[in-house]
Amino acid sequence: MSNSINNEETQLHAALADDVVAMDETNSVGHANEIVARQFDAYTAIDQGLVEGMNRVGKLFEQEEYFIPELLLSSDAMYAALDVLKPHIRRADGDQKPKVVFGVVEGDTHDIGKNLVKIMADSSGYEVIDLGRDVPPQKFVDEAVAVGASCIAISTLMTTTMDAMAEVVTILQKLKLREKFKVIVGGGPISPAFAEKIGADGYAPSAPTAVKLLNKLLAPPASA
Amino acid sequence: MSYTQQERLLRALSKQNVDRPPVICTGGMMNAAIVDVMRRSGFTLPAAHTDSGLMAGLAAAVREATGFENFGVPFCMTTEAELLGSDVDLGTLECEPKIAREKFPTVSAVEFRDVRRLIRDGRAAVIVSAARRLAAAHPGVPVIGSLTGPVSTAASVVDPLTFYKELRRAPDAAHRFLAHVTALLKEFCTALLTDGGATAIAVGDPSATGEILGPAMFEQFAARYLNELAAHVHALGAPFILHICGDLKRVKHLAAAIHCDALSTDAMINLPALKREFPHLTTMGNVSTFALEWGPVPKLATIARNLVRDGVDIISPACGLSTATCLANIRAVTDAVKEGAA
Repeated sequence: MSNSINNEETQLHAALADDVVAMDETNSVGHANEIVARQFDAYTAIDQGLVEGMNRVGKLFEQEEYFIPELLLSSDAMYAALDVLKPHIRRADGDQKPKVVFGVVEGDTHDIGKNLVKIMADSSGYEVIDLGRDVPPQKFVDEAVAVGASCIAISTLMTTTMDAMAEVVTILQKLKLREKFKVIVGGGPISPAFAEKIGADGYAPSAPTAVKLLNKLLAPPASA
Repeated sequence: MSYTQQERLLRALSKQNVDRPPVICTGGMMNAAIVDVMRRSGFTLPAAHTDSGLMAGLAAAVREATGFENFGVPFCMTTEAELLGSDVDLGTLECEPKIAREKFPTVSAVEFRDVRRLIRDGRAAVIVSAARRLAAAHPGVPVIGSLTGPVSTAASVVDPLTFYKELRRAPDAAHRFLAHVTALLKEFCTALLTDGGATAIAVGDPSATGEILGPAMFEQFAARYLNELAAHVHALGAPFILHICGDLKRVKHLAAAIHCDALSTDAMINLPALKREFPHLTTMGNVSTFALEWGPVPKLATIARNLVRDGVDIISPACGLSTATCLANIRAVTDAVKEGAA
């Protein structure tokens, strides 16, 4: 009896993961509702189903089988099911997640890359604080201090705004806060050399590698 | 044999022999209106975005100071989206204009308007007028009208994340919208070439890279409308320069098949190798804008000489220049290309 229930629960987890990979929001919500109706553990369903699905999507993205539209639609399917499951989480583990402050630097309003990193970090167990786009350097620092973040992640697509990234690091140094936060940078014109030049802790060329970088720099989150 | 700058560029674009490659900067997303030039000349942004006299003055000052062998207008990539209703922040001296708010939440919410009427007004008229001034005052110097490509314009008029999802979820509505955007761009090209006297059209479509869209969508949504635009420009008797951002990777063959007279790429692309693979291409580029900002001068001269040595057909920056780029670094490139003719 318990074995067959376990099987059914495992099958629902697999179905959730498949729904995310298939970009199927209707089915992911349906399967999430089934998890809730049958009183299976919501947290395990998120971890074994949705996170597993997004991990597979991340791999497909790295292998250039999936591209931005697919990644966005998969994340929609993930978030829709997450909305169903979240109120049913029994364990309170939200406060253990490392916090990462995200934003696109001042002068730039291209936020697609930042949003992708945010989605992948969110689905990998980080608590994401999204400052949006066109964010002044000081605001990155103020928010990171206010929420007790572990990392500041800065993105830009424009060569013209790269210097504002350096300013975030400079402000941290001036306030003697540099050691408190990891700083990672990314975006079209950014390179590892640039990251090093401005004194950032790391650079990642894509959303999945940004999460790997976070995992490397920070203690891995409990659910990852 | 010595050519005017216009002759040299037109010959390079039509695969005729030249004494050396032209060295140009198209304007638009790849403009060279750096702070240094603006401060020296007194023609400054953001004022020059909305005044044809200032825009022409700035374009002339950029050419004079940098040594690039063309005029390029405008100095931003938001005009097209603004014509279609998005709110634009014109930025500052140091910072280029940006979309403050996209006009529509989804492609199905887009209101279709008369594109012929739209391009007669606002900043489109300013740009056409600036081109006309430049063409009239400087015969022999090519004037390049720089446009934002169909996908990038579309993703600046409709919320970009929704837009990308709708390419899959609502492809018919996305096509109708892209056709509308392309119709506007065609009218803009007509105005620039016939009323403005521009020599060539350059299009950059940074939101339509293979890395973003993947090969299938790149072919369906980017290449298709870029080809429509190219056909329109060709029918008007002008050359069509295309800049594709990012690492071409899986869309290399598709990008190479677009009907452009020069293909410009990012610095990460090996242009000689691209040309060996697709011998029909006229290659353009691809001086790293990172190198342009950080120098030093001897390195930039070497980069430029290597591009000339390796048979790149038109020498140009590989991406948008930082407004903090120093003039000496740009001059190192333009001087190195020109010395090749001596």
